[in-house]
Amino acid sequence: MKKGLVTITLFLLVGLLLSPCTWGRVKTIKIGINAPLTGDIPKVGEGTKYAAEMWLEDVKAAGGIEVGGKRYPVELVIEDNESKAESAVKVQTKMITEDEVLVIVGPQSSKQAVPAGGVADNYKTPMISPWSTNPDTTKDRPFVFRGCFLDPFQGPVVANFITKEFGFKKAAVLYDVASDYPKGLAEFFKKAWEDIHGPGSVVAFESFTTKDADFSSQLTNIIKSGAEVLFTPQYYNEVALIVQQAHELGFNKPIVGSDSWGSAETVNLCGKDCYGLFFSTHYAAAGATGATKEFIDRYRGKYGYVPDDVAALTWDSLHIVQKAIESCGKLTGRIGKDRKAVRDAMAKIKDFHGITGKMTFTEEGDPIKCAVIVRISEKGEFEFYKSVCP
Amino acid sequence: MEKTYSPISPDQSTGRGRIRRWFSGIPVLGWIFGALVAVVLEYYLGDALSEVLGLEKVPALFGVTLILKKPLLLPKCLMFVGLIYVIPISVVAKYLSPLTNRIAGKLIQYPYGVSAVLHLALLYAVFYIWSDVSAYRLLTLKLSLIAVMITLSLNVVNGYMGEFSCSHPGFLALGAYGASVITVLFFVKDKLFGAPLLPPAIGPYLYPVALVLGGLLASVGALVIAVPSFRTRGDYLAIISLAFMFIVKSLIENLEIVGGPRGLSSQPGWSSLLTVFIWTVLCVWIINNFVRSTLGKAANAVRDDESAADAMTVNTRRTKVVTFMFAAFWAGVAGGLYAHVIRYANPGDFGIQKLADVLAMVYLGGLNSVVGSIVGAVGMSILGEALRPLGIYKWIIIPLLLILVMIFRPTGLIAFREFDVREILKPKRRM
Amino acid sequence: MVFFLQNLVNALQWGSFYALIALGYSMVYSILMLFNFAHGDIFMVGAYIGFGVASCILALASLGANTLPNWLILVLTILISMFLNSFLGMLVERIGYRPLRDAPRASAAITGLMIGIILETGILALFGARRISFPPLIQTVTYNMGGVFVTNKKIVIVLVSVMFMLALHQFVRRTKYGMAMRAMAFDYVVVPLMGVPLNTIAAMTFGIGSALAAVAGILFGVAYPVLDPYMGIIYGWKAFVAAILGGRGSIMGATLAGFLLGFIEIFVAMIFPSTLRDLIAYSIILLILVFRPHGFFGEPYSARLRL
Repeated sequence: MKKGLVTITLFLLVGLLLSPCTWGRVKTIKIGINAPLTGDIPKVGEGTKYAAEMWLEDVKAAGGIEVGGKRYPVELVIEDNESKAESAVKVQTKMITEDEVLVIVGPQSSKQAVPAGGVADNYKTPMISPWSTNPDTTKDRPFVFRGCFLDPFQGPVVANFITKEFGFKKAAVLYDVASDYPKGLAEFFKKAWEDIHGPGSVVAFESFTTKDADFSSQLTNIIKSGAEVLFTPQYYNEVALIVQQAHELGFNKPIVGSDSWGSAETVNLCGKDCYGLFFSTHYAAAGATGATKEFIDRYRGKYGYVPDDVAALTWDSLHIVQKAIESCGKLTGRIGKDRKAVRDAMAKIKDFHGITGKMTFTEEGDPIKCAVIVRISEKGEFEFYKSVCP
Repeated sequence: MEKTYSPISPDQSTGRGRIRRWFSGIPVLGWIFGALVAVVLEYYLGDALSEVLGLEKVPALFGVTLILKKPLLLPKCLMFVGLIYVIPISVVAKYLSPLTNRIAGKLIQYPYGVSAVLHLALLYAVFYIWSDVSAYRLLTLKLSLIAVMITLSLNVVNGYMGEFSCSHPGFLALGAYGASVITVLFFVKDKLFGAPLLPPAIGPYLYPVALVLGGLLASVGALVIAVPSFRTRGDYLAIISLAFMFIVKSLIENLEIVGGPRGLSSQPGWSSLLTVFIWTVLCVWIINNFVRSTLGKAANAVRDDESAADAMTVNTRRTKVVTFMFAAFWAGVAGGLYAHVIRYANPGDFGIQKLADVLAMVYLGGLNSVVGSIVGAVGMSILGEALRPLGIYKWIIIPLLLILVMIFRPTGLIAFREFDVREILKPKRRM
Repeated sequence: MVFFLQNLVNALQWGSFYALIALGYSMVYSILMLFNFAHGDIFMVGAYIGFGVASCILALASLGANTLPNWLILVLTILISMFLNSFLGMLVERIGYRPLRDAPRASAAITGLMIGIILETGILALFGARRISFPPLIQTVTYNMGGVFVTNKKIVIVLVSVMFMLALHQFVRRTKYGMAMRAMAFDYVVVPLMGVPLNTIAAMTFGIGSALAAVAGILFGVAYPVLDPYMGIIYGWKAFVAAILGGRGSIMGATLAGFLLGFIEIFVAMIFPSTLRDLIAYSIILLILVFRPHGFFGEPYSARLRL
């Protein structure tokens, strides 16, 4: 036993000498990323992670973030929330109290962003969710911001667009009843449409459940209802199936979508069936100019596909964070005080030029920004069609 | 190191014979004292020691997370854990053992409730000080305690009564929504229900009532499963309970009044550590008494042979209804606590994924065993957190570990063992 | 009427997936009395294997410049994937189930569940987060039969699955191994004592079930060409429902229950508001079990859970 103890002690001492020296702590700015790397929507997590890593590269190349004339190195803390609310809360708490991050970017979908936003606000840590569209995420939470427009804005945009563009009077909606985003948007669309065309003008309001692959029954109902257009605010994987099945069942009228279509995967999975369809989104990849194009080209060169809206929004959110940190004067090193300073700086940001458009935060921490209507071209690219501003 | 630390099951701190003998005469009280010293040490010296060792800060979860992230820090973390936990706990436990044995011996002369309360108070102090270091620890601890409640209540049905029930996420959801609706409706101003109906100041006092009502709601839900279980059992009951789970999830998704798929947020944060701790202790205590009571034995009889039990005058129907409702009640209470810890409830959280988690906890810990459930729940919760740095490979390692446990101990780590409070609180003389 | 017929056609296609998956589930369940909770994920892996095989054949065919007809590629893909996936099934049996033969059966269910998680994570790690688009082996042709739209895919899917079901039925009824399986389903304690090799039969059961899951996976890829690593979970659990609804020891029962489940889901969405689909569909199943507590074709048996 004695011998064992001596060996262990020796081993520990040697190890202690060899292990990396962290005395003289260098002050770094830590940014937390709360992303769904596993679980239901791993692609969203991947886009978030890639955009964040690209941003980190830029910052590293610049030698860190400059605050008050001093450059601080930046470190990303990327954690997986498994697309579960419980894990999102755990991860959020861990990043705030264990890793002592200055700002958190994410979570992406509202199911995690709503509870995680509560945690962030509780511990007075600024958080920006790039993609969450649920009003509850930022409501009454001064420390929580978001990087995208909300459903109540997007719903009427699409309804007005269809009315003006096609002159249709009867619309159908197909959405996922178990998922927060599609359901919310479907309802706002319905309301907007019925405001324009009178009650009953949404002739079919059909739903399914997350992970369903067969929509034939709902589509048959929609076809029977005599709708002139189908609005389906679904994620890219479901879009492919819905559009193909609709065509197989003989539905040859326009199908319109929302920002969740804005992924390179949509066309990959859907193919020719999706050509010529419209959707509203944050930015148009094809024909983009300036910083947006630069971002898209770099991302495509690095990871091999055109970035989705999640990646673009994460990229913008990180730049908002960067700008807020830069403009908060100086970092005291006391994390609570710095967090408050960053939060105040973020709320003050005006007319931020992001790749997804210009934004200014409202009282609630929601940006005012324009939506873009995109048409999927015959080459499968997302072409800018028109822009709708609030 | 969790094992030596864990004050609940000192008997598990196995090792080679010599170590075992060295630690043999220590009562539970001694271990708790040791742990108390360790956490106090960490509370006051943790920062300084980590500074001296060159760690960035006090390592969370015994340094496992840190080691996985930066393997080279292994010796430092071991050093920290050794200096803060292992050495103080073992030294204090060992050298105070004459004293603690004497105290335990004195206490055992009173009704054992006195002794139990004293032990629990000390244990709570340990938890409180340990979790006070960081909010992350606090959250992990709270969720682990809630997991203990969930696992135990599922064990009552799956282990003690021997039905393969898949409905627990449904009960959790009912409890979570039941309790949340009450607290949000009465005490919080929010957009679903508007202004609070009662002054929020009295809320915390009525919170237990809300939890109990949530639990009762889950119990009522359990009737949906209990009644068909008269005629059918085993596998058919498994799909009835699975259908029940789907129904509850779909029902909540369609109930706009509680937010539908958007979920219900803005619950007040009343699930403090003390609240969760007290409810967990109550749950363990009552379930432990239940399974040792006539009814619990009747459930065992139903499990082993229903017809024989019936012939031996066991009222199988009553047993089934009571057991299901009892288990669902505790699941409901756990759900209510859970919703108030996370401060959000979403029907999507109470689906198949949750079911897999809970089943894994029950079967890892062991069927028919209160201690097993505690070990399973705490083990899985801590493991799930500690292995976070592995990224998605965490979801290969944890299942692999579970498969290995199942292969080598098919009934789980600690199965079919009675949890005798008196036995545990007894002083242990040196052999 | 047209509306009803259209839904009937839809339900036939949807039901055939449930039926095919439920078959594999039901076989394991009948013969070994175990829940194979990994089955949904075996189905998912089957689809991925099908994707791999089809892509390989397509690549080879384009290399050799002599283009194979698409139907031949489909047949080859199905056969090769069945072969490969049956190995996966046997492996799962060897690792997760054989060591637990004498353990409580719920423990085996847990290993199945865990193997499922490993398979999902493995596929996720292997392919990354992107969804896979299944190569279009059948060019969609839509026939309009008096207002009812039928695609050639639907016909192929229903025909192929019915074919495999009948083949399995014949195998179980006519061959020696089939007889061994039926005997095992009758009593898996005594029959091995009569000289029936338990391990062979068990491995074979898993193999055949997984081969059928591969067929289901490929047909699924043909019909719904978006594959993701988590797609098997929900089908696995629904097949679990179908297999048990069908009754123990009944291949016919599992098939019919699979179709029934598909029909319930489709027709509930047709008649009621589709938001309530799951609610009503599972309430129906619950009611069925209240009134027929032993499934459709299963015999009332006094199952003693080996806990």
